[in-house]
Amino acid sequence: MNVVNDLRKTIKKLLAEKKIDLFVGWEKGSLPMAATPIFITNEDEADRIVFDITCGNNLSVYFTKDKKQFADKKVGIAVKGCDARSVVLNILEKQIDRANVVMVGVPCHGVLDKKKVLAKTDGREVLELIDGGDTVTLKGNGYELSSDRSEILSSSCLSCIYPDAQEYDIFVGEPRGEVPNENRLKEIKEFEAMSTSEKWASTRAEYEKCIRCYACRNVCPSCYCNVCFVDQNDPAWIGNTCDFTDSMVFHIIRNLHVAGRCVECGACERACPMDINLLLLNRKVAMEVKDRFGDVAGLDINGKPAMVDFREDEKQDFIMG
Amino acid sequence: MNMVRLDKQKLNDFIRELSAEYSVYAPGKTNGKTEFIPVESSDEIDFNSHVTDMFPKGIFFPPAEVLFEYDEDGVREAQTSHRPIAVWGMRSCDARSLVMLDRVFGSAIQMPDNKNFQDPYWKEKYDNSLIFGIACNEPLSTCFCNWLGGGPHNRDGMDVFVVDAGDVYLMEPLSDKGIEIINSSSCLTNATGKDEALAVKLASDAESMMTAPLDTGGLGEKLTAIYDEPIWSEISAKCVNCGACTFSCPTCHCFDVQDEGKGKKGKRVRIWDSCMFPIFTMEASGHNPRALSSERVRQRIMHKYSYYPENYGENLCTGCGRCVMVCPVNLDIREVLKRIIAYKEQVI
Amino acid sequence: MANPYIPLQMKVQRIETEDPDRTLRTYDLTFLNESEKEAFRYLPGQFCEISILGKGESPFGIASSPTEPDYLRFTVNRTGSVTNDIHYLRNGDIVGMRGPLGNWYPVEDMKGMNVLIVGGGFAFTTLRSLLIYLLDSRDDYMDITVIYGARNPDLFIYKDEIATWKQRDDIQFHVTIDKLVDGWTEKTGFVPTVTQEVAPSPDNTMAIVCGPPIMIKYTLPVLTELGFPDERIYTSLERRMKCGIGKCGRCNIGSKYICIDGPVFSMAELKKIPETV
Repeated sequence: MNVVNDLRKTIKKLLAEKKIDLFVGWEKGSLPMAATPIFITNEDEADRIVFDITCGNNLSVYFTKDKKQFADKKVGIAVKGCDARSVVLNILEKQIDRANVVMVGVPCHGVLDKKKVLAKTDGREVLELIDGGDTVTLKGNGYELSSDRSEILSSSCLSCIYPDAQEYDIFVGEPRGEVPNENRLKEIKEFEAMSTSEKWASTRAEYEKCIRCYACRNVCPSCYCNVCFVDQNDPAWIGNTCDFTDSMVFHIIRNLHVAGRCVECGACERACPMDINLLLLNRKVAMEVKDRFGDVAGLDINGKPAMVDFREDEKQDFIMG
Repeated sequence: MNMVRLDKQKLNDFIRELSAEYSVYAPGKTNGKTEFIPVESSDEIDFNSHVTDMFPKGIFFPPAEVLFEYDEDGVREAQTSHRPIAVWGMRSCDARSLVMLDRVFGSAIQMPDNKNFQDPYWKEKYDNSLIFGIACNEPLSTCFCNWLGGGPHNRDGMDVFVVDAGDVYLMEPLSDKGIEIINSSSCLTNATGKDEALAVKLASDAESMMTAPLDTGGLGEKLTAIYDEPIWSEISAKCVNCGACTFSCPTCHCFDVQDEGKGKKGKRVRIWDSCMFPIFTMEASGHNPRALSSERVRQRIMHKYSYYPENYGENLCTGCGRCVMVCPVNLDIREVLKRIIAYKEQVI
Repeated sequence: MANPYIPLQMKVQRIETEDPDRTLRTYDLTFLNESEKEAFRYLPGQFCEISILGKGESPFGIASSPTEPDYLRFTVNRTGSVTNDIHYLRNGDIVGMRGPLGNWYPVEDMKGMNVLIVGGGFAFTTLRSLLIYLLDSRDDYMDITVIYGARNPDLFIYKDEIATWKQRDDIQFHVTIDKLVDGWTEKTGFVPTVTQEVAPSPDNTMAIVCGPPIMIKYTLPVLTELGFPDERIYTSLERRMKCGIGKCGRCNIGSKYICIDGPVFSMAELKKIPETV
């Protein structure tokens, strides 16, 4: 609660001192499992701000989604570790002017994944959720149960080693530091260990679920092309049906378009109404980028994103086969 | 006609009877998500599903549907004749949604050359269908059918209304087709007065579990009045313009038409589309009448609660709550409606 | 039940390039099937969807008049992938056609009235249809005045016909270009301005306006100012379209679909629609 109070105070102060015109944070949503983005322009509204396990949105998306919304404004933004990396990436890609953004870091202990919560409740509707830190209480019609936080966290959080913003102007609460996480690559290693046909089958099973709503793309701060390749119709590059081949082409190209740019925040996976495991391949590519080019997207504001940097000594075997 | 009872243990036999004439669809699980799937026995039915994750409109209006195939010799109409479809376990909200869609796809627009523009692909499937509705005894917190002229035990759009009454299903045939199927089944017995009383009680219990309805009367006029006001950019501020709401909506029906093929051989397909996407209205010249996010959000709200009611006298929303559940930024349409109704028009 | 999504087969009979840049081409299409030709009934203002199989469809206003029964005429501006492919068509090629779609200019109501036709650029297509239609029953109508504007002299379509129309003494035909160029002896100035100058009295006159959105936007108020009542000003609108039969949901302005409730709207109808032109 202290973090939330401090966050509210910080926002009020920033607004009062006219250091920002607008603050982007989360407020309590209309559903117990979802906080919702809020844009605050006056101090009174700051008391609506929350920060807990339900704050899954990566708010950096609002810088790139509709550039007019924030144009010529000083914007304060609440950032978890991954969100801060998105902001940094957007700064490095010249989408945001560092001077116009005030980054307020918050100590993140992970955000929930709705499908994991519903697995806990056997699909019963959740009417109340209490974030008690290590345990989370879930209440609904005729039941109440508590869950270890770790059991309902988004898979992005389970593999996270940078829960704190590495770049920030103000940090509210205690940073958690780098979190050791030996298992973070477990899922990727399992995937790599599969035979080609197993990989094909499991990938196909995921992408077959896609209904092409583009929620994954639209919540992603790294996906900001003026016209996405799937929307180009002259010529049309790929089909727009939910046929597996069309969907897979969309997802794999998106996957490659965010190579070296994906901060592994998991917003795409949480947004997916069809529960597609979208992170696995994104994380696999991020891992490849780190291995080959030593770059972790959005970690270093003084760095150069992998895709705009070239060093003679970097691995080039992918070109030469 | 009076209610009949179907012992739940006989559901399988009943489904089999239906299967003789119909392809039977019922809620089932695919990849962890509930949707209407073709079933041959009651074992395949997911009885826990409430409002299915995926909407039943896909049975009659698939996400991608071939309109025709073509090759060097010309155009061949896609096969439009199928086995008739029976749907078991459709919620009141969803059965109503089909009635709403039928006004668009099935309605005849009389042209001077006697074409009428009814949609043959929809009509062939929907007109021959048999809908078994299922009453909601325990509405969800996201349900708001009672705001929009519906209710947990609403019977619109059903051929047979079904109430889950513990060990039995109580069934009330509503259409001629429904009466015929009930009369021809050997699985059913007459319901008792007690059964009927139970059905009434379950209905009133379910009603009482709903949130207090918002008065949506006058919503269309209000929307027209505030069309040019700044409220739209406030409402749409957090929308990321994905299509999760429209694709999960049982009443959204916009589609795109695309040709898929290579060389001279291929097919013309219609594909679900969304008014949330900028390309939806983008013209070849580059001009886009709905270039802004706020314009697209406004279009979605206006279409549902102003334009469609203007044309057909009823809102294009059943209050199923799916869009509320799937929105990745929790832009809750109920909050939007409350906000619009509470909004004081600005004097311009 | 006829399937409204299935295009009829049409043969390209004649192709005419309208401008030096070759972005505007006119196509005369004929029916392959005599019974389809017989069944095809339309009025000026209606449109068709032309199909290039493998690319898709685009809507085009019908530029021929029902009084020219031998062909359907369309003028195609090359902008997107479908129109690009149409421009590659040769005489004898087969294309798909669905139509007629949409409503039409109020030709019945115009009988016994004066008619003012205001057009701009390559949107003169359905206005040509209307003009031919009126001229073919010349006695049914009173004075006919046409104002046709283009950015420059090259961008007028149907140049040969314009020359003959200008010769006729039973219509007033004014052409205008945006900016004066060498050798131009006709009017210069934007369509709204010229309309102000040469429009006939609004008494017993029906005004039909069709052109680029910006021209429509500035011409309608001029007509109102001249005293034309909203019920006697008609315009034809355009939007991105797909199905053409009121199902696919994209071409609406307010509660009206351009493809079935339009494309022709009276000013009185438009004023009831919140989404502006």
